[in-house]
Amino acid sequence: MGGDSDVGQPPLKRQKLSKPSHKTPCEGSRTGVAATGSAALMARSICSNDGETVGSHGQIRKVEFVRIIEQALFSLGYQQAGAVLEEESGIRLQSPAVQQFREDILAGRWDECVATLSEIGVLEESTYKAALFLVLQQKFLESLEASNTTAALETLRSEISPLGVSTSKVHQLASFIVCFPEDLLAKAQWKGAGQESRQSLLEELQQLLPPSIMVPERRLEHLIEVALQVQREACVYHNTLDHVLSLYSDHRCSRDQIPTRTLQVVEGDSLKVKYKFTGHSKPVSFVAWSPDDTMLLTCGNEEVVKLWDISTGQCKYTYDKPNSCFTSCAWFPDGKRFVSGGGDKCIYMWDLEGHELEAWKGARMPRINDLAITTDGSHMVSICDHKNIRIYNLEEKTERVIEEEKPITSLSVSKNGRYLLVNLVSQEIHLWDISAATKDLPKKYRGHKQGRYVIRSCFGGTDYAFIVSGSEDSQVYIWHRWNGELLDVLSGHSGTVNSVSWNPVNPHMFASASDDHTIRIWGLSNRPMPKKHDEKPGSSNGFDHLVNGGTRDLLENLRPFNSDTD
Amino acid sequence: MGRLYLIQLDGRVYSCRYCRSHLAQCDELVSKSFHCRHGKAYLFNTVVNVSLGPQEDRLMTTGKHTVADICCNCCQQVVGWKYESAFEKSQKYKEGKFILERAKMIDGDGASFYLDAHEVDSDADNE
Repeated sequence: MGGDSDVGQPPLKRQKLSKPSHKTPCEGSRTGVAATGSAALMARSICSNDGETVGSHGQIRKVEFVRIIEQALFSLGYQQAGAVLEEESGIRLQSPAVQQFREDILAGRWDECVATLSEIGVLEESTYKAALFLVLQQKFLESLEASNTTAALETLRSEISPLGVSTSKVHQLASFIVCFPEDLLAKAQWKGAGQESRQSLLEELQQLLPPSIMVPERRLEHLIEVALQVQREACVYHNTLDHVLSLYSDHRCSRDQIPTRTLQVVEGDSLKVKYKFTGHSKPVSFVAWSPDDTMLLTCGNEEVVKLWDISTGQCKYTYDKPNSCFTSCAWFPDGKRFVSGGGDKCIYMWDLEGHELEAWKGARMPRINDLAITTDGSHMVSICDHKNIRIYNLEEKTERVIEEEKPITSLSVSKNGRYLLVNLVSQEIHLWDISAATKDLPKKYRGHKQGRYVIRSCFGGTDYAFIVSGSEDSQVYIWHRWNGELLDVLSGHSGTVNSVSWNPVNPHMFASASDDHTIRIWGLSNRPMPKKHDEKPGSSNGFDHLVNGGTRDLLENLRPFNSDTD
Repeated sequence: MGRLYLIQLDGRVYSCRYCRSHLAQCDELVSKSFHCRHGKAYLFNTVVNVSLGPQEDRLMTTGKHTVADICCNCCQQVVGWKYESAFEKSQKYKEGKFILERAKMIDGDGASFYLDAHEVDSDADNE
């Protein structure tokens, strides 16, 4: 949205973005709202002429422009200013007939309404009849409510039915005659005689009648909001929490809206080790916090699953199966159940006491590499046989399989449960839509290096606009989700970055874990750099997505437990 | 190190002798009659859990080829090579296929390579 072409108008005036009848804004113009003072200025300097256009691209008709401004003034409450504008520009917001029509409706003078309707403008036959029907319907209902049954009947007979608009509706109206006035409101879904229903009638009529006769309400605000929306979507680095954008200049976030600077390097004994959970005999390869953050599930690399209580540091239960080789697990959003899957080709659902609730197994079940449950608990996603993504709908017991061409190393679902992200061995990240019924091609993100290790990626930023991933070249890669553009490559680690996790509440912070035995916290680049810490060595293997803004002790306390060390 | 991503294959597989990670399925075997410096070698259509080294041109008994060494993802041992391109028309069939050295592999049912001694050695590549 770059081009600025200043047309030499008075300084306060801004150019409108598009004609009211077009939805897409043109390129190169700026948004703006004409302040009250400038409206008069503008009217004076331009003589009113019907074919004239304003705006640097000549796409906006002057008459429409002035009318929208007048409408905005009136709706803001500046009646006098609006009247002055009408006078000076010679362009009235509404023709006198329309003005009269509006007043008649709000006052309930139905017969005058009917008469005015025919005067308003050139209307199509069907529009005219539909509008007439609405007005007469209101008259009918008001008479009924006032228990004036004869008048209502009269209306129905002589005015409404000859219209021939909709016989089923006419029958419905006839049926209202036989109900009590108290029931009428409920049956007809009508608010009752009075300003409110008349106002809504006016709005209905406005939608029905062509916009040139009655300008739709709040038109100027709507146009500006559309323009802002387009700017917001075009802004690649947009990552702020506030929704109000300034009108004074085109919205364009700079690169420093995404975290690019290492705030903290966590290594050694820096974080206070709260608990050391021991008990696994194989390296711990997977960790998952419960949704209420009180419990932790850990999975050995093809081993058992253990449930730990955070407050006591004790292992509450060990989930075992003969031949257990669990590789991953996922919590249900209610925090009371979880599923686990692994190389033994079965998925089990467990509760917190160690009971097996359900099992999916059988000849058709393949080896499970990774598991996830969407945040609303409706779908269970699993990576089967390295290349298939199986999305199982837990409520309907149906499933959908997406086949990838190359092996998948890791899986991640977005917090709104609609998207999933998979890392492939072929150095691509694919974004799939869970709910899409058709097999659309996924969005692909490339640039990072992956070949040997399990590299995790995740969504991040406000509206999950960013995809961030680790890589085997020790860097963190950030892409824009919608256009696939590689936004940034962050260096700092000196080993393969295995896993990343974006702060779910602070869109300006994320953490990365690497083979160089450190965790780095990344934030915005205008923050000061804090101190370094020291920690025992231990390779950082993985992260769970619920690492909350630095307030929680991070998980490096789960030392990979090799059987020949202690 | 980070968590290695190792693909598990089904059926009868050849695995790396040192780390037991799966390398190739028996179904993907094309020919058993190749040779390398350390002994016999098999030609496969596809292999898994390996990474490619840099390409280089090598002169073999059957002519000049462009090959890239492959090493096991898990233990980093060189287990064979991949034919990237062949200079002679008759050797073009090998392009894109992989050689795994028999000495570096373990057969699916645990048999060692001694049992293969009865195979006829026809003319094949020497590394």
